[in-house]
Amino acid sequence: MEKKFEVKDLITAGVFTALYFAVTFVVACIGFIPIFMVFLPLIGPIFTGIPLMLYFSKIKHFGMITISSVIIAILFFVTGHPYPIFIFCISAGLLTEFVLKAGNYQSIKSCVIGSSTFSLWLLGMVIAFFFGFRESYFASLIDGYGQEYVDKMMGYTPTWMFFAMIAMCLIGGLIGGLLGAKVLKKHFRKAGMV
Amino acid sequence: MKFGLAAASQKSILQLDPRTKLCLLIAVSLIMVGGKTVGVEFILRILCAALPFVLLLTVRAFKSALIYVILLGISVFCEGCVIPNLSGTPNLVLMILCGILSRFVPGYMMGWYTVRSTSVSEFITAMDKMHVPYFITIPFSVMFRYFPTLGEEYRSIHDAMKMREIGQSVKNPFTYIEYVLVPIMMSTVRIADELSAASLTKGLCAGGRRTHICEIKIKLYDWLLMFGSMAMIALFFVF
Repeated sequence: MEKKFEVKDLITAGVFTALYFAVTFVVACIGFIPIFMVFLPLIGPIFTGIPLMLYFSKIKHFGMITISSVIIAILFFVTGHPYPIFIFCISAGLLTEFVLKAGNYQSIKSCVIGSSTFSLWLLGMVIAFFFGFRESYFASLIDGYGQEYVDKMMGYTPTWMFFAMIAMCLIGGLIGGLLGAKVLKKHFRKAGMV
Repeated sequence: MKFGLAAASQKSILQLDPRTKLCLLIAVSLIMVGGKTVGVEFILRILCAALPFVLLLTVRAFKSALIYVILLGISVFCEGCVIPNLSGTPNLVLMILCGILSRFVPGYMMGWYTVRSTSVSEFITAMDKMHVPYFITIPFSVMFRYFPTLGEEYRSIHDAMKMREIGQSVKNPFTYIEYVLVPIMMSTVRIADELSAASLTKGLCAGGRRTHICEIKIKLYDWLLMFGSMAMIALFFVF
């Protein structure tokens, strides 16, 4: 168990982050419809939880999830999301790290909880709708998307929605984690791949 | 058409440094996603929208350049001529669609250019020169290598499902996701193992400082473009 951190781990992190990112990206496309944007933190983790659980089952060392979260943050930052995404991603990654560590990287229960805490990074994507970013963000949206869209989005996102989104992330991640555990049990344990 | 980090010997008229590409990418996506459509930012937006097109032409990606121009043309045309004449739901739908297209497509095209025109060794060398630690560089390069494979795998799975006449008959979305995702995950595990074996033979875990065969230099036009993108970002934040 207590082996050194290897290049193999970095490659595993890279491949699975790519898979995770791709699934996130596909799911995020439905977020273009205003009402789904609000439920993205709930729907997203349900689907991404499945590959995430497989990734968790491959993790043996401290630090891999943090690396994944840093990579996700960089990718989203480069494609035009505001900087707070770094804060959310890295703290979600670290939190998940400790959750998995508590289960000694083996317990399925802590993996499921980890999947729920890891999806908190999604908050970094929607933070622009809230708090100090709100006014300037919506102002910049008006001439691109039109007043109607902005009014709709503003209606959907009162401040309490942010806290509801935290809950959505956690619940979505939990469902995704359970679903992932089920898929792992059904397909991967039999094949001896976990 | 080849996708993914290109072969080192890819013929290109303009050999840009990966660091320059990164600068340009950040500038384009920042300005296109967050920019307004009036005043100085309007000129910046035109510049940023034209940039990926020109760069795609320099790597002879004519097809994607054409697709890019058509997409952008349609959305600009709709924003200018069609939307003011509509109202209600069609207006809203079209507005959002065009808003998304004109905002995100340039950034993605720029990203695609970056991925397409940079070889893995160029990327790693440039990152090394920027003193990015290896535990970021290696996953990143693996990832860029893996994205195109992911697409291939998805198409193969799709074909296999079609041949067995699954696919259309699967009505439950969760079942469909299971049918697609599980094989992809299986192959992901396998590819991860294969790549680690490959990296072992290439001595990636040998430790010590790695040397590079490919030459990466910031030339005059790299400086110009980098300075240009910095100036654009500065202008973007000032106005």
